[in-house]
Amino acid sequence: MSTANPAAKKNHNPKLAVILSILLAGLGQLYNRRYVKGTLFIILEVSFILTLGQFINYGIWGIMTLGTLAGTDHSVFLLIYGLVALVLIAFAITLYIANVKDAKRDAIRLRDGEKVPTFKEALRNVWDTGFPYFFVTPGLIMLVFIVVLPLMFTIALAFTDYTQYNQPPRNLLSWIGFENFGRLFFGTGAGDSNIWQETFISVFTWTVVWTVVATTLQIALGLFLALLVNDPRIKFKRLIRTILILPWAVPAFVTILVFAAMFNDRFGAINTDVLAMFDLAIPWLQDPFWTRIALIMIQTWLGFPFVFALFTGILQSISKDWYEAADVDGASRMQKFRNITLPHVLYATAPLLIMQYAGNFNNFNIIYLFNEGGPPVRGQNAGGTDILISWVFDLTFELNQYSMAAAITLILGLIVTGFAFFQFRRTRSFKEEGNL
Amino acid sequence: MKKYLSIFAMVLLLIGVLAACAPDREESGGSNDDSGGGDSEESGDQPESLSVWVNDSEEQKAVLDTLFEKYTEETGIEIEVTPMNMLDQVEALNLDGPAGNGPDLFFQPHDRIGNIVLQGLASPIDLGEAEGTYSETAIEAVTYDGEIYGAPLVVETYGTFYNKDLVEEAPATMDELMAIAEEQTDAASDQYGFLMEAANFYFSYPFFGANGAYVFNNEGGSYDVEDIGLNNEGAVAGGELIQSWYENGYIPVEINPDIMNGLFTDGKVGVAITGPWNIPAYEEALGDSLGTAILPTVDGNNATSFVGVKSWMVSDYSENKEAATDLALFLTNEENSTAYFEGAGELPANQAALEGEAVTSNELIAPFAEQIQYGTPMPSTPEMQQVWDPINNALSFIAQGDDVQEVLDEAVQQIKDNIATAQQ
Repeated sequence: MSTANPAAKKNHNPKLAVILSILLAGLGQLYNRRYVKGTLFIILEVSFILTLGQFINYGIWGIMTLGTLAGTDHSVFLLIYGLVALVLIAFAITLYIANVKDAKRDAIRLRDGEKVPTFKEALRNVWDTGFPYFFVTPGLIMLVFIVVLPLMFTIALAFTDYTQYNQPPRNLLSWIGFENFGRLFFGTGAGDSNIWQETFISVFTWTVVWTVVATTLQIALGLFLALLVNDPRIKFKRLIRTILILPWAVPAFVTILVFAAMFNDRFGAINTDVLAMFDLAIPWLQDPFWTRIALIMIQTWLGFPFVFALFTGILQSISKDWYEAADVDGASRMQKFRNITLPHVLYATAPLLIMQYAGNFNNFNIIYLFNEGGPPVRGQNAGGTDILISWVFDLTFELNQYSMAAAITLILGLIVTGFAFFQFRRTRSFKEEGNL
Repeated sequence: MKKYLSIFAMVLLLIGVLAACAPDREESGGSNDDSGGGDSEESGDQPESLSVWVNDSEEQKAVLDTLFEKYTEETGIEIEVTPMNMLDQVEALNLDGPAGNGPDLFFQPHDRIGNIVLQGLASPIDLGEAEGTYSETAIEAVTYDGEIYGAPLVVETYGTFYNKDLVEEAPATMDELMAIAEEQTDAASDQYGFLMEAANFYFSYPFFGANGAYVFNNEGGSYDVEDIGLNNEGAVAGGELIQSWYENGYIPVEINPDIMNGLFTDGKVGVAITGPWNIPAYEEALGDSLGTAILPTVDGNNATSFVGVKSWMVSDYSENKEAATDLALFLTNEENSTAYFEGAGELPANQAALEGEAVTSNELIAPFAEQIQYGTPMPSTPEMQQVWDPINNALSFIAQGDDVQEVLDEAVQQIKDNIATAQQ
């Protein structure tokens, strides 16, 4: 239809429009005879360069060199300027691409003789279709600066040599690539000791064991109790539920400190009052093995009420018809549990349960408050129950190994992102299932 | 096609930005270059005001506020006070200093001086004639790499507390202390002759040091971090002494500050070694039965307790270094540090004030002032941070009965490894 259009301008060249708008934003629009829009673009670009050009220039130089004059250049500031500059450039590039695309689209329309909306019409169009975006944009830009920028900063630190002996403003930082990660994973780097690698591996394995065992136990206990309490033969359900949810009501850090006192090998109630009856005295705080057992038990106690409450809710919502049908078919108690209850419960709660694992993976409170990651282990840099996050805390605040701490934080972040991604997928599959 | 175009656009833009990448830094060399002292500034001119960061304890701030008022009256210089936790000040100064919002004077415990100097945040301070008025230990503490970095205000160490109902006189020697422990300890009924946090190196150092152990060898005001004296003969002797307390059942392995304070205030402990910060709580519980003394001697040598010193430091970013130094000297002179002691309860670093009426007339405090002279300042070198964990762990192993020499050798090796790793 376009070929037959009398308004078509065969000699209007979209390629030329594109090239012009690449050379200077707005030129293409001018060529397309969109004078107001073109002028706006030109003003935008010129003012961007005039106001922020200097800053971006400084920032890019800063992030590339991290400063050249020790004592005058502050590497941390330069790093942040550089990251801000990168964000600004990203905004600019997005706008620029929009400009080029716009020039091309208009040029094609003009060549084909389609009716090009006037500036007023275009404005109204934008207002009608882009209204939500218009209001979301300031929030998004804010989000980039308060959420994404600090993340970028941490990530960047992992690739620098920011340690106690190399701190700005007196010294300059420099980029060292993957050296920190090499030390952690392969024990490469200066010095004849493999302390980083050895410690990382032992801390990491315990972190995994801790996450899996403690979380699984708390979920299993929560599920078991929920099933029990949900049994129709149980009386005083409300009272039992209230009691079972109580551990949740007390702030975790109070509970942990109380437990730490109770588990004291000599003066704590557990050894002096409970185990003394059986003539036992377990070294809860001195022996890494028993400290781990104690931690897992405490976390199970702290974590099960939430799971219990969750499951209790879900169990109420399972239709009785299912069980009646199963009874008619002569299914056993176990079969009913495995084929009706469990799938229902797990399917509905999977995303939340996954986040329980993620939560325990980074459960700094309990590890630090109970025994500060102790007891010490001979020939190792971290305590017997240190998980990655409490080790990072030690590295940053006790040993000032900032870049190494950032590297481990990055690894932690990636792992938790994995959990979150998995959870997100589960959530979506759940929703789609609901739509069917 | 579209993709190529957008990439081309990006590259074009980047080149446009990067091409002019020579930063214009003509104003370089700001306040940081004249670290040799404030000579470049006009010395006769007085600043209108000085900015001071004080610790955010209300008692301390209240006293300091009156001292600042006095200073303003005398000199006409206004003082802007910002209360900020002592331990947060370094971090804040690292960012605020270069940005021009830092203080002229800030307040720090001396064991962080090495770290502060590594970050280039403090200027050496010229105490002038006043240098002789401070206690020697305090000056030694604030000296780093041969230069003095602070005007000491407060000194702090620990000593012996005893319950006069159980122990008539403070034990003067280790043997006397052991006799008390032997006689009075009955773990089954939670009765102890002698308790201390022996697995905490801060408190157990005197028993190493008295026999000739040292953390880092100190010569002429700078520490040789290669030379660690924590596994020499004296250290092993000290470690074995500490181990014997556990083996004889004098001190339970599980002791922690809460339990120790609880037992002591319940009147179940004869002698405890801890710091003067426990005086108010102990005095409230025991009343007149509470006594304090210097640490008992070990094999005839005075116990070398760790001494901590808190001092005023001049920011390297200050534009009024001379005036700031003057204020620091004013705050730490005899009269004012006595006033500070009376208000905030912290022992003065000023020798005359330390020996003055206010301190010596206070029976409970006076022994700590005496103990200062036998003490050693905690090393202020940044490597000290690598010492605490390994040596505290070693003390835990010693408490559990492991071989002392072996454990200390391991600890020293780990300290060396940690230092090497940290320096990379």
